[in-house]
Parts: sequence; structure tokens; C-alpha cells
Amino acid sequence: MVSLVVLVVALFRLQVLQSDLYVNLAARNRLRLVRMPPARGRILDVNGTVLATNVQTFDLMVYPLDLQDKETAEEVSRFLKARGIPLEVEQMLERVRKEFTVPYRAVTLLPDLTLAQLSSLVSDPDFPRQLFPVPVWRRVYPAGPLVAHVLGYVGEVTREELERFSPGDYRGGDHVGKGGVEEFYESVLRGTPGQEAIEVDARGRKVKRVGFIEPGQGEDLELALDLGAQRLASELMAGRVGAVFAMDVHNGNVKVLFSSPNFDANPLAWGISSREWNELMRDPVRPMLNRVIAGTYPPASTFKVVPAFAALAENAVTRRTTFTCTGGMRVGNRFFRCWKRDGGHGPVNVVKGLRDSCDVFFYQAGLRTGIDALVKWGAVFGVGEPTGIDLPGEARGNIAGPAWKLERFRERWYPGDTANYSIGQGFLLLTPIQLARIYAAIANGGKLVTPRLLKGAKTSVSLQLPEGPLAIVKEGIEEVVLRGTGRRAGQYGVSVAGKTGTAENPHGDDHAWFVGYAPVENPRYVAVALVEAGLHGSSAAGPVVGELLGYLCRFD
Amino acid sequence: MTGLGALREDLSRLKDIDRVLVAAVIPLLAIGVVSIYSALAGRGEVAVSMALRQVVWSVMGVVAFMITFAAGYERMFRYGYWLYAGALLTLTALLIAGYTAKGATSWFDFGAFRFQPSEPTKLALSIILAVFLCRYPPKTLVNILGVLLLSSFATVLVLLQPDLGGVIVYAFMIFVALAVAGTPRKYLLLLAGIALLSLPVGWSMLKEYQKLRMLVFLNPSIDPLGAGYNVIQSRIAVGAGGLFGKGFLQGSQSKLHFLPEAHTDFVFSVFSEEFGFVGASIVLFLFAVLLWRMIRTAARSGDQRGKILVAAISAWIWFQIFENIAMTVGIAPVTGLALPFMSYGGSSLVSLGAALGLVQSVHVSARPQYE
Repeated sequence: MVSLVVLVVALFRLQVLQSDLYVNLAARNRLRLVRMPPARGRILDVNGTVLATNVQTFDLMVYPLDLQDKETAEEVSRFLKARGIPLEVEQMLERVRKEFTVPYRAVTLLPDLTLAQLSSLVSDPDFPRQLFPVPVWRRVYPAGPLVAHVLGYVGEVTREELERFSPGDYRGGDHVGKGGVEEFYESVLRGTPGQEAIEVDARGRKVKRVGFIEPGQGEDLELALDLGAQRLASELMAGRVGAVFAMDVHNGNVKVLFSSPNFDANPLAWGISSREWNELMRDPVRPMLNRVIAGTYPPASTFKVVPAFAALAENAVTRRTTFTCTGGMRVGNRFFRCWKRDGGHGPVNVVKGLRDSCDVFFYQAGLRTGIDALVKWGAVFGVGEPTGIDLPGEARGNIAGPAWKLERFRERWYPGDTANYSIGQGFLLLTPIQLARIYAAIANGGKLVTPRLLKGAKTSVSLQLPEGPLAIVKEGIEEVVLRGTGRRAGQYGVSVAGKTGTAENPHGDDHAWFVGYAPVENPRYVAVALVEAGLHGSSAAGPVVGELLGYLCRFD
Repeated sequence: MTGLGALREDLSRLKDIDRVLVAAVIPLLAIGVVSIYSALAGRGEVAVSMALRQVVWSVMGVVAFMITFAAGYERMFRYGYWLYAGALLTLTALLIAGYTAKGATSWFDFGAFRFQPSEPTKLALSIILAVFLCRYPPKTLVNILGVLLLSSFATVLVLLQPDLGGVIVYAFMIFVALAVAGTPRKYLLLLAGIALLSLPVGWSMLKEYQKLRMLVFLNPSIDPLGAGYNVIQSRIAVGAGGLFGKGFLQGSQSKLHFLPEAHTDFVFSVFSEEFGFVGASIVLFLFAVLLWRMIRTAARSGDQRGKILVAAISAWIWFQIFENIAMTVGIAPVTGLALPFMSYGGSSLVSLGAALGLVQSVHVSARPQYE
């Protein structure tokens, strides 16, 4: 009991006898540390064109206490109205009410004023002394939707993200990269926040600067991406749903990464309403989905290079092995058709099989090679694994072998499954970027590259592929463009080797594929185009890849 | 009799609990929730969610109260050694797998919430002290050394975290239990003397920041923006409250984030700034009632074990109240002890609930069954 009396006495001394002293100290408690957000690093394309940068804008702030006085509120409203900013007292109070937490925290009255707007307001002698500007950085994307899937966008950090990052790094209200390069290279782009020590008055308004630590600007990022080629890809897609991707076959430098439909990142970075956000998320064509890295499709005939290579490498077939195509064949108790039903392709070897995309040749070759070897070689070429591109959210696709089928469907693997697998149908799923990487490995003599958006970086793994089979597969896909199903890809001034594909789509028309590299003699670039519901790879996707490769080789 | 019937019987004795004590604790809990909200109000919606969590923890505290009350203190004594062993095991596991913040490993991090094992250990320690001191009365040096050895396990494990505040609470509880159990005065004086003499040794064991806290206590202005910051800002908050306070949500010290740890260690400062000397005195009055009723229960109990148990629990609660408030007004060093019933924290609230359940169990059994 005595102890509690001691406490009461201590409190009495502090709160009653010395109260004036401490009230004074609290009022003079003026030193405040204000965080200065750093300017985020810019993002440039390979030619130095700015893809993402910052503009400084100003938020006009006010303390809720000041607006509680009716006269002041009306004065502010009158002042703004006279300068062409219609803001009624009710609207103003509504905004304040929305943001209001405690009387000591300033709220934003007018966001995102330009320097010109602000200076004309502030230089006015009638400028209400209750208002004060705070500079803010806003992110802008000059190329807009064109590179939205590459860059992602920035937005206010969410509570989940705050918990994920190491404590102290971020605070509520900070901006952070969401999706794309903005997210992947967040730590490089962000910079370090600075600090300003300011002296404030009793209302917390800045009186003068006492100390200052300059914010460390974020580093600029130079991408390998070519905005010109990206624009061409967008024009060639002409609004069709799908994906286009192109990269250097040797170092994986990404030249084009285009997914359609896309979205404009600018409004996202500046804040949109939850209604607009929900519309974007619920859109059935899913504009936020980056189809290049996260769209998974059956690769169809474009995949045939893998079984062809596997069959040759496993000695299941040779350059001279011939099967006869009569328009289909029986496997087990099912009849498997070739796409050319009337009469078939006649005698077909591996080169002709690739050239004419003869399904019967691949049914036969695949059954002879066996599913285990097909899956093994698929894995060697990176099927079923993310490519490791410097973007978040990459899908792994599905290599879908017998083990997978057993686990997924509790059903054993039938020879018919192998036949389907050999023509890239069935359970097999690839992303466009995985497919491009397979063709890059064929083009560069057997190196599996890691695609990189960042300029200069390169990683690749040598697959130690046998020379002979590789040369035969190359010959086959050169024939595709010279005399086979992909002729329309070869009309753009550069020699192309590649493969068409028409993927069965259970939800509608077939998806059209083309993937190829150029120039044939000394391959430099690989490109892939996928057109959802595009029907025919040869006509819908082939010209996109041909023209894009022509552009890349011409302007290199 | 069925288990359910027994439970109903046990809980039927709730009508005999000390209503004065309940009438003191409930307003304290409510004041705590309100102060936590106010402490965090400058940070947006966190305030509401933390205040709500505190309400949920209070309810869990009531549940813990019901459980220990229904079980009865005598049954808890039967499992005393097991409870204590469990507590020691948990403290050991903590040193291996605990979450380290600010140089101390005091928490298990379960994602959704964190658990501080040193809080329930206070309860286990109270029980074990009561059991042991009755079985081996501290009249001989051997018995005294025995109880010191037994309780030193928990103390050392907490010291290893290191949680200095916890160690002092334990030591104080042990001392009070010994005194109530009838330890001869010469031994008590000897123990106090040893504690004083070991201060220099203890000093050398402190971490740098803890030494700094002590030095800062002696003179806060040696490091006004560092270790002395908490004390200075807390004193300013309490002092600026004046006689009647600035009013709810109007305290600038907490709203402008001058006051650190405002919803945990310094929740009393938040409350005092906004409700002034009058409010602070009311809180102290409620605490006084609480302690008075507990001491009354101990005094009336005919059971020596019950006496010691309630005394140890009272020592724990009294010490934390005194140290916490003394710290906020700058007459004791900063130790990071929570203010019972008011500071944010589930481990503390649930342990306190369970402790009060035992106290009330002693209370009702001291009361004649037939009148």
C-alpha cells in the first residue's frame, strides 16, 4: 500500500505540481523526422528509350483541425473555386473525413498538382495559410500498355508485403514494384529513403529544416528489350489474343516480350478505384495475365523437334528410316489420324516428317523411342521447369509423363498417350518462353540459355547434345520454311528455320503457333508467336515471327 | 458423479468469488483496451485490430480463470511438479527455437500470435513454491537452499534469454514466498544482503543496452535521443496530462509517435496524458483494491499452501504494477515489464486470468461451506 502511495505522490508531483513544465515540453517537442522517399530508378530499353520514369507532383495537405472551423473551410473553398478548382465545402469535409484518423495527422486535400499548378496557387497572396504542399514522386510509363507485362507497375505496399519484407525496410504508404521488372528488381530500383529532420509548430507544420539526409536515388535499369521490335510485335498481333517473344539465341537477352491483351500501368501506379481494379481482374480475357511466361498451352507440332531429336539420339530412327503415312494409323484399339487425312504423306523420313509435320511419322517414331526417353529429353530441353527469366510469376508448364498421369488420374500410361505426346498434344503444356528456349538451344548448338531482360547478363548451360541428331533436326526445320508448312515465315528478307503448330483448344478454335530462328546460316534470334484461336499456325503466327525476325536481324 | 456434474458443481462456487476484486479488474481491462486503441490511433486501422485482439485475449483470460477455478488450487498442487517441469521444458525450447528481437529471445512466433513462456512460468513458480515450502518448511538452511535450487532453474533459463525484468519478478516472488512461509528473519536478511552484494556481479552480466538503461535511469539526459528517449518522452507525456488530462485521443505524445512502445510497456503514459492525474489516480485505486483483496484472501485462508500461493501471485502482480508505473514516471529504470491487465499482450492476460482463478479458488475454500 505504501508503494502505491509513493506512486500517487510521484504522479501528483509530475502531473499537478510540475504540469506547466511538461505541458511546455510537449508543446516544444518539435523535432520530427520525416522520411523522404527516394526517386525510383528509371527503366530504359536497349537504345536508351525511357520505359519508366518519375515525375514530381505535389499533394496539397491540410490538418483536419483547421477545417473544423466553418469559416476557414469556406475561405479555402472560395480560394480554390476562384482558381478553377471546384471543391465545395461538403466535398472537402468528405475527403477529410475519409482520411481522418486523429487531429494531428495531415490529410491530402488535392493530390497530384503539377509544379506549374502549385506555384500559381502558392504565389497567390490569398493562398490560405492552412494549406501546405508536400512533394511526391509518381511513376509514369511513357510507352503505356506496350510494355506493361514487361515492367509491371508500382503501387502502395500492402499489409501482406509489409509482413514479408524485413522489418523496417518499408512503411505503410511506401510504393513497391508489383509484377514485372518493377517487382523483380525492386531492391535495385528502389534506392534508399532519406530523412529530413524538421522543426514543427504545435500543429506539426514544418517551421524549418534542422537536418537532412539525402535520399539515395534508385539505380537505372537498362533492358535488352527493343521498344521498336516490341511495337512491331504489337502491330502484327493487331489486337488478337496471344503472345510474342523474341530473344538472342546465344545470351538469352530478351528483345520482345509481348502479351495481348494488355493493360495500361499508368493509372495503376497513380491509384485506381476498387471498382476499376475488380473489372480488370474479372475480365474474361485476363489482360493482367502475362501469356509469354504464365500462359500454358499444348505446344502441338512445334514440339515435334523434341521427339525427333529424342528418336535420333536414342537410335530409334536414323536419317534414312522411313514410315509410310496413309492418313492415319491404328494404335491399340484407337485410330490416330494424320492432319492430312486424304491419302496421307506416303513414305516419310525424319526430315520430311518435320517439313510436312506428318503426324504418322511421329506416332511411329515416338512409339519406337518410348515415353520414358521422350520425357527424359523433354526435361533436358527444360520442359516442365521455369526458364528462370528475371520476372516474377513464371509458370512451369507440365511435362506430364507416366508418373504424373498415375498420380493425377490414377491410371496407367497407354501407347495412345505416347502417340499423342509425340505430336505435342495430350497433357503436355508449355509456356511460349519455354518453347522459344528449346529452339534457341537447337539454334546455338545445344546451350540452354536463361532468358534475361536485363542487358548484358547471360547464363547458359551446355547440354552436351550429340552433333548428328542436332544437324538433322536443323535440316528438318529449315525445310519447313523453304518447302513445308512454314513458307509464309520466310518472306521477310531473312532466312528462317522454324515450325508451325496448331494446338487443339477444348474451349474453342485451335491456337496457332509458330516458333523459329534466323538467320539460318548463323542464328542470332529466336522468336515465337502464339495466337489464341488463330486456327492455323502457318497463316496466323508464321508471318508474325518471320517479320519480327526480319526486323531484328536488319536493325541489329 | 459424472465429470460434467462435477464441473457444474465446481463452477457453481463462482457465486462465492470475491466480487470486489472482479469489480476492480474489469474496469482495468476496459481502460487497457481503450488506451491501446488510443496509443495506436495515429497509425490507422492497426488501432482497431489491436484493441480487438486485446478484447479477445481478455476473454481468453476469463476462460483461463474458469479453468483454474474449476480445477481448484488443490488439484493444481497435485500436478505442481509436472506443471513446473513443463514450464522449464518450454523455456528451454524457447532458447533453441524462439524468436529473437532486440537481442532477447523471449517469444515463440506462431505467425498469427506470439507466445511469451516466461508469463505462465510465473504461475507454475507460484504453485511449486507453495507446494515445496509446505512440504519442507524453510526453518533450516537445507530446506531454504532446496527451494532456492528448485526455483533457480526457471530464473536461470529466463536470465539466459536474457529477460532481466522477468528475473527480478521471479526473485521477488521467491523472497515473498519465503517470508510468508515463515523463514527466520536472520535468513531473510542474509538473502537480501547476498542479493545486494551480488549487484556488481549482476552488473557485469548485463548487456550493453541494459547497462545503458540503468545509467540513463540515474540521469536521462546523458543520451536524450537514445536510451534516455523513452524515459524523457514518457515523463513528458505523463506530466503534460496535468490534473484532468488532454482528453481521449488528444494526447500529442503518443499520436505524434514520440512515445515508444506506447501500447505495451508505456500504455500507462498514454492513459495518463489523456486522462491526467485524476485518471491515473483512479487506476492506482483500482490496483490498490485488487491487491488489498488478494492479501485479504491470503490472510483469511486457513491453508498454509493457499497462503503462500496467493502471496507469491500478489508479489508478482504488485511488483509489475509498481515497476511499470514507476518506470513511466521516471523513478525506476526501464525494464520492459508489462502493466498487469492494461498492457497489450495475450501471454500476460491469460496467465493473470489463470492466476486469479487460483486466488479465487483459495478464496472460496476459505469461506465456510455452511452458514
